[in-house]
Amino acid sequence: MLEWLIENNVVCHALEAMIFASIACSILGVIISRMNLSSIGFTMSHAAFAGAAMGMFLGANAQMTAIAFSMAVAALIGPVSDKAKMAADATLGVLFAMSMAVAIFLISYMEYMGKGLSASSLLFGDVVSLYREEIYALAAVCCLTIIFVLAFYKEISAIMFNMKIAEAAGVRVKLVYYILLFIIALSVALSLNIVGGLLIFVLLVTPASIAGQFCFNVKSMFIVAPLVALIVSAFGVWAGFEFTLPVAPLVALLLTGVFAISVMLSFKRRINTRMH
Amino acid sequence: MSIVDLKGIYTAYEGGEKAVIRDLSLRVDRGEYVVIGGPNSAGKTTLLESINGLVKITHGSASVCGLDVSSQADEVRRRVGYVIQNFYFDPFTPFSVEQVVMMGRFGRLGLMNRPARADYDAAQRAITIAGIEDLVHKTIGTCSGGQQQKAMIAHNIAKEPEVMMLDEPFSNLDFVAREYLQGVFKEMARKGVPILMVAHAFDGLPNIPIHLVVMNKGKITYDMNCTAAEVENIIRKECGVSGKCSSG
Repeated sequence: MLEWLIENNVVCHALEAMIFASIACSILGVIISRMNLSSIGFTMSHAAFAGAAMGMFLGANAQMTAIAFSMAVAALIGPVSDKAKMAADATLGVLFAMSMAVAIFLISYMEYMGKGLSASSLLFGDVVSLYREEIYALAAVCCLTIIFVLAFYKEISAIMFNMKIAEAAGVRVKLVYYILLFIIALSVALSLNIVGGLLIFVLLVTPASIAGQFCFNVKSMFIVAPLVALIVSAFGVWAGFEFTLPVAPLVALLLTGVFAISVMLSFKRRINTRMH
Repeated sequence: MSIVDLKGIYTAYEGGEKAVIRDLSLRVDRGEYVVIGGPNSAGKTTLLESINGLVKITHGSASVCGLDVSSQADEVRRRVGYVIQNFYFDPFTPFSVEQVVMMGRFGRLGLMNRPARADYDAAQRAITIAGIEDLVHKTIGTCSGGQQQKAMIAHNIAKEPEVMMLDEPFSNLDFVAREYLQGVFKEMARKGVPILMVAHAFDGLPNIPIHLVVMNKGKITYDMNCTAAEVENIIRKECGVSGKCSSG
Protein backbone atom coordinates (compact mmCIF):
# COMPACT_ATOMS: atom_id res chain seq x y z
CA MET A 1 0.00 0.00 0.00
CA LEU A 2 2.82 2.40 0.78
CA GLU A 3 5.22 1.01 -1.83
CA TRP A 4 4.99 4.31 -3.74
CA LEU A 5 6.55 5.98 -0.70
CA ILE A 6 8.98 3.36 0.62
CA GLU A 7 11.05 1.24 -1.73
CA ASN A 8 12.25 -1.31 0.80
CA ASN A 9 9.51 -3.96 1.04
CA VAL A 10 10.39 -5.06 4.59
CA VAL A 11 10.28 -1.50 5.95
CA CYS A 12 7.11 -0.82 3.98
CA HIS A 13 5.34 -3.90 5.40
CA ALA A 14 6.52 -3.12 8.92
CA LEU A 15 5.26 0.45 8.68
CA GLU A 16 1.89 -0.59 7.27
CA ALA A 17 1.43 -3.23 9.94
CA MET A 18 2.37 -0.88 12.77
CA ILE A 19 0.04 1.82 11.46
CA PHE A 20 -2.99 -0.49 11.23
CA ALA A 21 -2.29 -2.23 14.55
CA SER A 22 -1.70 1.01 16.41
CA ILE A 23 -4.85 2.68 15.04
CA ALA A 24 -7.09 -0.32 15.82
CA CYS A 25 -5.63 -0.96 19.27
CA SER A 26 -5.57 2.69 20.36
CA ILE A 27 -9.22 3.25 19.36
CA LEU A 28 -10.25 0.15 21.31
CA GLY A 29 -7.96 1.33 24.11
CA VAL A 30 -10.00 4.52 24.55
CA ILE A 31 -13.07 2.39 25.27
CA ILE A 32 -11.49 -0.21 27.54
CA SER A 33 -9.48 2.32 29.57
CA ARG A 34 -12.63 4.27 30.36
CA MET A 35 -14.45 1.01 31.27
CA ASN A 36 -11.59 -0.01 33.61
CA LEU A 37 -11.06 -3.12 31.50
CA SER A 38 -7.39 -2.59 30.70
CA SER A 39 -6.54 -6.14 31.77
CA ILE A 40 -8.50 -7.32 28.73
CA GLY A 41 -5.25 -6.60 26.83
CA PHE A 42 -3.34 -9.15 28.93
CA THR A 43 -6.06 -11.75 28.64
CA MET A 44 -6.61 -11.46 24.91
CA SER A 45 -2.93 -11.35 24.06
CA HIS A 46 -2.27 -14.46 26.13
CA ALA A 47 -5.32 -16.18 24.67
CA ALA A 48 -3.88 -15.45 21.22
CA PHE A 49 -0.49 -16.69 22.45
CA ALA A 50 -2.08 -19.93 23.71
CA GLY A 51 -3.96 -20.32 20.42
CA ALA A 52 -0.79 -19.82 18.40
CA ALA A 53 1.05 -22.37 20.55
CA MET A 54 -1.82 -24.77 19.98
CA GLY A 55 -1.60 -24.22 16.22
CA MET A 56 2.14 -24.93 16.25
CA PHE A 57 1.55 -28.01 18.39
CA LEU A 58 -1.09 -29.33 15.98
CA GLY A 59 0.86 -28.29 12.90
CA ALA A 60 -1.91 -25.90 11.87
CA ASN A 61 -1.78 -22.23 10.88
CA ALA A 62 -0.73 -20.49 14.11
CA GLN A 63 -2.46 -17.22 13.21
CA MET A 64 -5.79 -18.90 12.56
CA THR A 65 -5.68 -20.85 15.81
CA ALA A 66 -4.64 -17.68 17.66
CA ILE A 67 -7.72 -15.90 16.27
CA ALA A 68 -9.96 -18.88 17.07
CA PHE A 69 -8.71 -19.19 20.65
CA SER A 70 -9.02 -15.43 21.32
CA MET A 71 -12.54 -15.47 19.91
CA ALA A 72 -13.42 -18.38 22.19
CA VAL A 73 -12.06 -16.50 25.20
CA ALA A 74 -13.92 -13.33 24.12
CA ALA A 75 -17.10 -15.38 23.91
CA LEU A 76 -16.51 -16.63 27.46
CA ILE A 77 -15.79 -13.30 29.21
CA GLY A 78 -19.33 -11.87 29.11
CA PRO A 79 -21.32 -15.02 29.94
CA VAL A 80 -18.84 -16.15 32.63
CA SER A 81 -19.00 -12.71 34.31
CA ASP A 82 -22.81 -12.74 34.15
CA LYS A 83 -23.23 -16.35 35.27
CA ALA A 84 -20.64 -16.30 38.04
CA LYS A 85 -21.69 -12.77 39.11
CA MET A 86 -18.03 -11.81 39.05
CA ALA A 87 -16.52 -8.48 38.09
CA ALA A 88 -15.30 -8.61 34.48
CA ASP A 89 -11.75 -7.97 35.77
CA ALA A 90 -11.84 -11.13 37.91
CA THR A 91 -13.11 -13.18 34.95
CA LEU A 92 -10.31 -11.74 32.84
CA GLY A 93 -7.81 -12.83 35.50
CA VAL A 94 -9.10 -16.40 35.49
CA LEU A 95 -9.08 -16.63 31.69
CA PHE A 96 -5.62 -15.01 31.52
CA ALA A 97 -4.21 -17.66 33.87
CA MET A 98 -5.92 -20.44 31.90
CA SER A 99 -4.53 -19.12 28.59
CA MET A 100 -1.02 -18.78 29.97
CA ALA A 101 -1.19 -22.29 31.43
CA VAL A 102 -2.27 -23.76 28.07
CA ALA A 103 0.55 -21.92 26.27
CA ILE A 104 3.28 -22.89 28.75
CA PHE A 105 2.04 -26.49 28.88
CA LEU A 106 2.20 -26.86 25.09
CA ILE A 107 5.55 -25.12 24.72
CA SER A 108 7.12 -27.20 27.51
CA TYR A 109 5.64 -30.40 26.11
CA MET A 110 6.98 -29.66 22.63
CA GLU A 111 10.42 -28.92 24.02
CA TYR A 112 10.27 -32.19 25.96
CA MET A 113 9.30 -34.04 22.77
CA GLY A 114 12.23 -32.38 21.02
CA LYS A 115 9.95 -30.64 18.51
CA GLY A 116 11.33 -27.24 19.40
CA LEU A 117 9.16 -24.17 19.42
CA SER A 118 10.35 -20.62 19.44
CA ALA A 119 7.92 -18.61 21.49
CA SER A 120 9.94 -15.43 21.27
CA SER A 121 8.21 -14.15 18.11
CA LEU A 122 4.84 -14.62 19.78
CA LEU A 123 5.95 -12.94 22.98
CA PHE A 124 7.95 -10.08 21.51
CA GLY A 125 6.67 -9.85 17.92
CA ASP A 126 8.55 -9.98 14.67
CA VAL A 127 7.74 -7.03 12.52
CA VAL A 128 10.24 -7.85 9.75
CA SER A 129 8.77 -11.17 8.64
CA LEU A 130 5.18 -10.32 7.83
CA TYR A 131 3.16 -11.68 4.92
CA ARG A 132 1.08 -9.38 2.75
CA GLU A 133 -2.08 -11.28 3.78
CA GLU A 134 -1.42 -10.46 7.42
CA ILE A 135 -1.25 -6.77 6.60
CA TYR A 136 -4.49 -6.96 4.60
CA ALA A 137 -6.13 -8.70 7.57
CA LEU A 138 -4.87 -5.95 9.89
CA ALA A 139 -6.16 -3.27 7.52
CA ALA A 140 -9.56 -4.99 7.52
CA VAL A 141 -9.65 -5.12 11.34
CA CYS A 142 -8.62 -1.47 11.50
CA CYS A 143 -11.54 -0.56 9.22
CA LEU A 144 -13.89 -2.81 11.22
CA THR A 145 -12.88 -1.03 14.44
CA ILE A 146 -13.51 2.40 12.94
CA ILE A 147 -16.87 1.28 11.51
CA PHE A 148 -17.84 -0.24 14.90
CA VAL A 149 -17.11 3.01 16.73
CA LEU A 150 -18.90 5.15 14.14
CA ALA A 151 -21.95 2.87 13.96
CA PHE A 152 -22.34 2.38 17.72
CA TYR A 153 -20.89 5.71 18.86
CA LYS A 154 -24.04 6.61 20.80
CA GLU A 155 -24.14 3.26 22.65
CA ILE A 156 -20.36 3.18 23.21
CA SER A 157 -20.30 6.67 24.74
CA ALA A 158 -23.22 5.77 27.06
CA ILE A 159 -21.40 2.61 28.19
CA MET A 160 -18.16 4.53 28.68
CA PHE A 161 -20.03 7.04 30.83
CA ASN A 162 -21.62 4.49 33.17
CA MET A 163 -22.72 0.96 32.31
CA LYS A 164 -25.56 0.82 34.86
CA ILE A 165 -26.98 4.21 33.89
CA ALA A 166 -26.75 3.20 30.21
CA GLU A 167 -28.63 -0.03 30.94
CA ALA A 168 -31.28 1.84 32.95
CA ALA A 169 -31.70 4.22 30.00
CA GLY A 170 -32.57 1.24 27.80
CA VAL A 171 -29.30 1.07 25.83
CA ARG A 172 -28.46 -2.42 24.51
CA VAL A 173 -25.39 -2.64 26.73
CA LYS A 174 -24.72 -6.38 26.49
CA LEU A 175 -24.89 -6.57 22.71
CA VAL A 176 -22.44 -3.70 22.21
CA TYR A 177 -20.15 -5.07 24.95
CA TYR A 178 -20.01 -8.51 23.30
CA ILE A 179 -19.25 -7.02 19.87
CA LEU A 180 -16.48 -4.97 21.49
CA LEU A 181 -14.96 -8.11 23.02
CA PHE A 182 -14.92 -9.86 19.63
CA ILE A 183 -13.25 -6.93 17.88
CA ILE A 184 -10.63 -6.71 20.63
CA ALA A 185 -9.97 -10.46 20.27
CA LEU A 186 -9.54 -10.09 16.52
CA SER A 187 -7.30 -7.03 16.75
CA VAL A 188 -5.07 -8.53 19.43
CA ALA A 189 -4.73 -11.90 17.66
CA LEU A 190 -3.73 -10.21 14.41
CA SER A 191 -1.33 -7.80 16.13
CA LEU A 192 0.43 -10.63 17.96
CA ASN A 193 2.97 -11.17 15.18
CA ILE A 194 3.85 -7.51 15.10
CA VAL A 195 4.30 -6.35 18.68
CA GLY A 196 3.97 -9.67 20.47
CA GLY A 197 1.78 -10.77 23.36
CA LEU A 198 3.71 -8.84 25.97
CA LEU A 199 3.78 -5.46 24.25
CA ILE A 200 0.26 -5.34 22.82
CA PHE A 201 -0.85 -3.91 26.16
CA VAL A 202 1.16 -0.78 25.39
CA LEU A 203 -0.76 -0.16 22.16
CA LEU A 204 -4.08 -0.71 23.92
CA VAL A 205 -3.53 1.41 26.99
CA THR A 206 -0.83 4.04 26.48
CA PRO A 207 -2.22 6.10 23.54
CA ALA A 208 -5.60 6.32 25.30
CA SER A 209 -3.87 7.41 28.51
CA ILE A 210 -1.93 10.08 26.61
CA ALA A 211 -5.14 11.37 25.01
CA GLY A 212 -6.79 11.35 28.44
CA GLN A 213 -4.25 13.92 29.67
CA PHE A 214 -5.44 16.55 27.23
CA CYS A 215 -8.95 15.72 26.00
CA PHE A 216 -12.07 16.95 27.74
CA ASN A 217 -14.48 14.98 25.59
CA VAL A 218 -14.65 11.47 24.26
CA LYS A 219 -14.83 12.47 20.60
CA SER A 220 -11.43 14.16 20.76
CA MET A 221 -10.01 11.12 22.60
CA PHE A 222 -11.04 8.91 19.67
CA ILE A 223 -9.09 11.23 17.36
CA VAL A 224 -6.03 12.05 19.49
CA ALA A 225 -5.27 8.48 20.70
CA PRO A 226 -4.92 6.88 17.22
CA LEU A 227 -3.12 9.97 15.93
CA VAL A 228 -0.51 9.76 18.69
CA ALA A 229 -0.20 5.98 18.22
CA LEU A 230 0.22 6.40 14.46
CA ILE A 231 2.91 9.11 14.69
CA VAL A 232 4.90 7.32 17.41
CA SER A 233 4.64 3.94 15.64
CA ALA A 234 5.75 5.38 12.30
CA PHE A 235 8.67 7.15 13.98
CA GLY A 236 9.52 3.92 15.85
CA VAL A 237 9.60 1.91 12.61
CA TRP A 238 11.83 4.49 10.94
CA ALA A 239 14.18 4.73 13.93
CA GLY A 240 14.24 0.95 14.37
CA PHE A 241 15.40 0.34 10.79
CA GLU A 242 17.64 3.39 10.65
CA PHE A 243 19.57 2.53 13.81
CA THR A 244 19.07 -1.29 13.72
CA LEU A 245 16.98 -1.47 16.89
CA PRO A 246 14.13 -3.87 17.70
CA VAL A 247 11.04 -2.08 16.42
CA ALA A 248 8.24 -3.28 18.76
CA PRO A 249 10.05 -2.62 22.07
CA LEU A 250 11.26 0.71 20.69
CA VAL A 251 7.69 1.76 19.87
CA ALA A 252 6.60 0.65 23.37
CA LEU A 253 9.36 2.71 24.98
CA LEU A 254 8.63 5.74 22.83
CA LEU A 255 4.94 5.61 23.71
CA THR A 256 5.79 5.32 27.41
CA GLY A 257 8.11 8.32 27.08
CA VAL A 258 5.40 10.37 25.38
CA PHE A 259 3.01 9.36 28.16
CA ALA A 260 5.46 10.57 30.84
CA ILE A 261 5.87 13.91 29.05
CA SER A 262 2.12 14.26 28.57
CA VAL A 263 1.50 13.75 32.31
CA MET A 264 4.00 16.52 33.05
CA LEU A 265 2.48 18.87 30.49
CA SER A 266 -1.19 18.01 31.04
CA PHE A 267 -3.21 21.17 31.56
CA LYS A 268 -6.01 19.05 33.00
CA ARG A 269 -3.85 18.44 36.06
CA ARG A 270 -2.94 22.07 36.60
CA ILE A 271 -4.44 23.76 39.63
CA ASN A 272 -5.51 27.37 39.22
CA THR A 273 -3.66 29.31 41.90
CA ARG A 274 -4.77 32.73 40.74
CA MET A 275 -6.65 34.72 43.37
CA HIS A 276 -8.68 36.78 40.91
CA MET B 1 -55.38 -0.76 33.62
CA SER B 2 -52.58 0.21 36.03
CA ILE B 3 -49.32 1.42 34.48
CA VAL B 4 -47.35 -0.57 37.08
CA ASP B 5 -48.92 -3.86 38.10
CA LEU B 6 -46.93 -6.26 40.30
CA LYS B 7 -48.59 -9.49 41.38
CA GLY B 8 -46.96 -11.62 44.07
CA ILE B 9 -43.39 -10.97 42.91
CA TYR B 10 -40.28 -12.47 44.48
CA THR B 11 -36.79 -11.17 43.78
CA ALA B 12 -33.60 -12.86 44.92
CA TYR B 13 -29.92 -12.23 44.40
CA GLU B 14 -27.75 -15.22 43.51
CA GLY B 15 -26.24 -16.73 46.65
CA GLY B 16 -28.67 -14.84 48.89
CA GLU B 17 -30.20 -16.99 51.62
CA LYS B 18 -33.68 -15.68 51.03
CA ALA B 19 -35.61 -13.50 48.61
CA VAL B 20 -35.07 -9.75 49.02
CA ILE B 21 -38.66 -9.09 47.99
CA ARG B 22 -41.30 -11.62 48.93
CA ASP B 23 -44.84 -11.97 47.65
CA LEU B 24 -45.12 -8.28 46.87
CA SER B 25 -48.07 -6.83 45.00
CA LEU B 26 -48.44 -3.19 43.99
CA ARG B 27 -50.54 -1.20 41.57
CA VAL B 28 -49.71 2.31 40.44
CA ASP B 29 -51.99 4.31 38.19
CA ARG B 30 -51.24 7.21 35.86
CA GLY B 31 -50.58 10.49 37.61
CA GLU B 32 -50.02 9.00 41.06
CA TYR B 33 -47.32 10.40 43.35
CA VAL B 34 -45.94 7.35 45.16
CA VAL B 35 -43.59 7.72 48.12
CA ILE B 36 -41.77 4.53 49.16
CA GLY B 37 -40.39 4.55 52.69
CA GLY B 38 -39.06 2.11 55.25
CA PRO B 39 -35.92 1.13 57.14
CA ASN B 40 -32.57 0.07 55.65
CA SER B 41 -32.56 -3.24 53.75
CA ALA B 42 -36.34 -3.13 53.40
CA GLY B 43 -35.99 -3.79 49.65
CA LYS B 44 -36.98 -0.32 48.39
CA THR B 45 -34.20 -0.02 45.77
CA THR B 46 -34.71 -3.66 44.78
CA LEU B 47 -38.40 -2.90 44.23
CA LEU B 48 -37.54 -0.07 41.82
CA GLU B 49 -34.99 -2.25 39.99
CA SER B 50 -37.53 -5.08 39.73
CA ILE B 51 -39.98 -2.69 38.09
CA ASN B 52 -37.53 -1.76 35.31
CA GLY B 53 -36.09 -5.26 34.96
CA LEU B 54 -32.58 -4.51 36.24
CA VAL B 55 -33.14 -7.19 38.90
CA LYS B 56 -34.66 -10.48 37.86
CA ILE B 57 -38.10 -11.41 39.14
CA THR B 58 -38.04 -15.08 40.17
CA HIS B 59 -41.76 -15.61 40.83
CA GLY B 60 -44.96 -13.71 40.18
CA SER B 61 -45.83 -11.39 37.33
CA ALA B 62 -44.89 -7.77 36.66
CA SER B 63 -46.38 -5.56 34.00
CA VAL B 64 -45.17 -2.01 33.34
CA CYS B 65 -46.67 0.20 30.61
CA GLY B 66 -48.54 -2.93 29.47
CA LEU B 67 -45.28 -4.82 28.92
CA ASP B 68 -44.16 -7.99 30.68
CA VAL B 69 -41.03 -7.03 32.63
CA SER B 70 -39.46 -10.50 32.55
CA SER B 71 -39.55 -10.89 28.77
CA GLN B 72 -39.47 -7.24 27.60
CA ALA B 73 -37.08 -5.63 30.09
CA ASP B 74 -35.19 -3.64 27.41
CA GLU B 75 -38.40 -2.05 26.14
CA VAL B 76 -39.58 -1.35 29.72
CA ARG B 77 -36.30 0.44 30.49
CA ARG B 78 -36.72 2.60 27.39
CA ARG B 79 -40.02 3.88 28.79
CA VAL B 80 -39.21 4.14 32.51
CA GLY B 81 -37.00 6.87 33.95
CA TYR B 82 -34.78 5.81 36.84
CA VAL B 83 -32.55 8.12 38.85
CA ILE B 84 -30.19 5.76 40.64
CA GLN B 85 -29.17 6.18 44.26
CA ASN B 86 -25.38 6.04 44.18
CA PHE B 87 -23.15 7.35 41.47
CA TYR B 88 -19.70 8.83 41.32
CA PHE B 89 -18.12 10.48 38.31
CA ASP B 90 -14.39 11.07 38.51
CA PRO B 91 -13.07 14.52 37.53
CA PHE B 92 -11.63 13.13 34.27
CA THR B 93 -14.99 11.79 33.01
CA PRO B 94 -14.92 13.05 29.41
CA PHE B 95 -18.59 14.02 29.13
CA SER B 96 -20.26 17.39 29.56
CA VAL B 97 -23.53 17.83 31.46
CA GLU B 98 -25.26 18.49 28.12
CA GLN B 99 -23.98 15.17 26.71
CA VAL B 100 -25.09 13.31 29.84
CA VAL B 101 -28.60 14.76 29.59
CA MET B 102 -28.71 13.80 25.89
CA MET B 103 -27.80 10.21 26.80
CA GLY B 104 -31.21 9.93 28.45
CA ARG B 105 -32.65 9.75 24.91
CA PHE B 106 -30.32 7.01 23.67
CA GLY B 107 -32.43 4.04 24.79
CA ARG B 108 -35.53 5.41 23.07
CA LEU B 109 -33.61 5.99 19.85
CA GLY B 110 -32.73 2.33 19.36
CA LEU B 111 -29.50 0.80 18.08
CA MET B 112 -27.32 2.86 15.75
CA ASN B 113 -29.93 5.64 15.21
CA ARG B 114 -28.55 9.14 15.53
CA PRO B 115 -30.29 11.81 17.63
CA ALA B 116 -32.60 14.05 15.60
CA ARG B 117 -33.70 17.65 16.16
CA ALA B 118 -36.55 16.45 18.41
CA ASP B 119 -34.06 14.67 20.68
CA TYR B 120 -31.87 17.77 21.05
CA ASP B 121 -35.01 19.80 21.80
CA ALA B 122 -36.11 17.29 24.46
CA ALA B 123 -32.66 17.44 26.09
CA GLN B 124 -32.73 21.24 26.03
CA ARG B 125 -36.20 21.27 27.65
CA ALA B 126 -34.96 18.89 30.37
CA ILE B 127 -31.97 21.15 31.05
CA THR B 128 -34.29 24.14 31.42
CA ILE B 129 -36.72 22.21 33.65
CA ALA B 130 -33.91 21.01 35.93
CA GLY B 131 -32.49 24.54 36.04
CA ILE B 132 -28.97 23.60 34.95
CA GLU B 133 -28.54 25.88 31.92
CA ASP B 134 -25.35 27.30 33.43
CA LEU B 135 -23.76 23.83 33.67
CA VAL B 136 -24.25 22.50 30.15
CA HIS B 137 -20.61 22.88 29.05
CA LYS B 138 -19.09 21.77 32.37
CA THR B 139 -17.72 18.23 32.51
CA ILE B 140 -19.90 16.10 34.77
CA GLY B 141 -17.00 14.99 36.99
CA THR B 142 -16.14 18.55 37.93
CA CYS B 143 -19.70 19.31 39.10
CA SER B 144 -20.66 19.18 42.77
CA GLY B 145 -22.72 16.25 44.10
CA GLY B 146 -25.90 18.33 43.95
CA GLN B 147 -25.19 19.48 40.38
CA GLN B 148 -24.53 15.89 39.32
CA GLN B 149 -27.81 14.84 40.90
CA LYS B 150 -29.69 17.56 38.99
CA ALA B 151 -27.95 16.44 35.78
CA MET B 152 -29.08 12.85 36.38
CA ILE B 153 -32.65 14.05 36.99
CA ALA B 154 -32.48 16.06 33.72
CA HIS B 155 -31.06 12.93 31.97
CA ASN B 156 -34.25 11.10 32.95
CA ILE B 157 -36.61 13.99 32.19
CA ALA B 158 -35.07 14.17 28.68
CA LYS B 159 -36.17 10.58 28.21
CA GLU B 160 -39.82 11.73 28.45
CA PRO B 161 -40.62 8.65 30.53
CA GLU B 162 -44.03 7.06 31.00
CA VAL B 163 -43.07 6.25 34.62
CA MET B 164 -40.50 8.18 36.67
CA MET B 165 -38.65 6.33 39.44
CA LEU B 166 -36.31 8.17 41.79
CA ASP B 167 -34.10 6.58 44.43
CA GLU B 168 -33.32 9.18 47.09
CA PRO B 169 -33.13 11.95 44.51
CA PHE B 170 -32.64 14.75 47.03
CA SER B 171 -29.79 13.34 49.11
CA ASN B 172 -27.27 15.91 47.80
CA LEU B 173 -29.61 18.83 47.26
CA ASP B 174 -30.25 21.93 49.34
CA PHE B 175 -33.81 22.76 50.42
CA VAL B 176 -34.31 25.30 47.62
CA ALA B 177 -33.44 22.72 44.94
CA ARG B 178 -35.52 20.08 46.73
CA GLU B 179 -38.64 22.23 46.78
CA TYR B 180 -38.13 23.31 43.19
CA LEU B 181 -37.71 19.72 41.93
CA GLN B 182 -40.66 18.48 44.01
CA GLY B 183 -42.65 21.04 42.01
CA VAL B 184 -41.23 19.60 38.78
CA PHE B 185 -42.28 16.07 39.75
CA LYS B 186 -45.71 17.30 40.86
CA GLU B 187 -46.15 18.82 37.39
CA MET B 188 -45.06 15.54 35.76
CA ALA B 189 -47.63 13.67 37.87
CA ARG B 190 -50.29 16.22 36.90
CA LYS B 191 -49.53 15.41 33.27
CA GLY B 192 -50.14 11.72 33.98
CA VAL B 193 -46.60 10.41 34.57
CA PRO B 194 -46.60 8.47 37.84
CA ILE B 195 -43.75 9.30 40.22
CA LEU B 196 -42.27 6.51 42.38
CA MET B 197 -39.86 8.00 44.88
CA VAL B 198 -37.79 6.23 47.51
CA ALA B 199 -37.11 8.79 50.21
CA HIS B 200 -35.99 9.25 53.78
CA ALA B 201 -36.63 12.96 54.05
CA PHE B 202 -40.19 14.09 53.48
CA ASP B 203 -40.03 17.86 53.70
CA GLY B 204 -41.33 19.70 50.69
CA LEU B 205 -43.62 16.91 49.46
CA PRO B 206 -46.25 18.45 47.17
CA ASN B 207 -49.64 19.18 48.61
CA ILE B 208 -51.45 16.51 46.60
CA PRO B 209 -52.72 13.03 47.59
CA ILE B 210 -49.71 10.81 48.22
CA HIS B 211 -49.79 7.08 47.54
CA LEU B 212 -47.65 5.93 50.46
CA VAL B 213 -45.93 2.53 50.34
CA VAL B 214 -44.02 1.43 53.44
CA MET B 215 -41.72 -1.58 53.14
CA ASN B 216 -40.09 -3.71 55.77
CA LYS B 217 -38.07 -6.92 55.31
CA GLY B 218 -39.01 -7.26 51.63
CA LYS B 219 -42.74 -6.82 52.13
CA ILE B 220 -45.20 -3.98 51.88
CA THR B 221 -46.63 -3.19 55.29
CA TYR B 222 -48.63 -0.11 54.28
CA ASP B 223 -50.15 0.77 50.92
CA MET B 224 -52.70 3.60 51.08
CA ASN B 225 -53.27 7.20 50.11
CA CYS B 226 -52.55 9.95 52.62
CA THR B 227 -51.66 13.62 52.73
CA ALA B 228 -48.10 14.94 52.53
CA ALA B 229 -48.28 16.00 56.20
CA GLU B 230 -49.11 12.45 57.32
CA VAL B 231 -46.30 10.66 55.47
CA GLU B 232 -43.54 10.87 58.07
CA ASN B 233 -45.76 9.90 61.02
CA ILE B 234 -47.16 6.89 59.20
CA ILE B 235 -43.67 5.69 58.28
CA ARG B 236 -42.43 6.17 61.86
CA LYS B 237 -45.40 4.18 63.11
CA GLU B 238 -44.86 1.41 60.55
CA CYS B 239 -41.15 1.28 61.42
CA GLY B 240 -42.09 0.94 65.06
CA VAL B 241 -40.02 3.90 66.15
CA SER B 242 -41.04 7.05 67.93
CA GLY B 243 -38.09 9.06 66.50
CA LYS B 244 -37.15 9.46 62.87
CA CYS B 245 -36.84 6.44 60.62
CA SER B 246 -33.26 5.41 60.07
CA SER B 247 -31.93 6.57 56.74
CA GLY B 248 -29.74 4.91 54.10
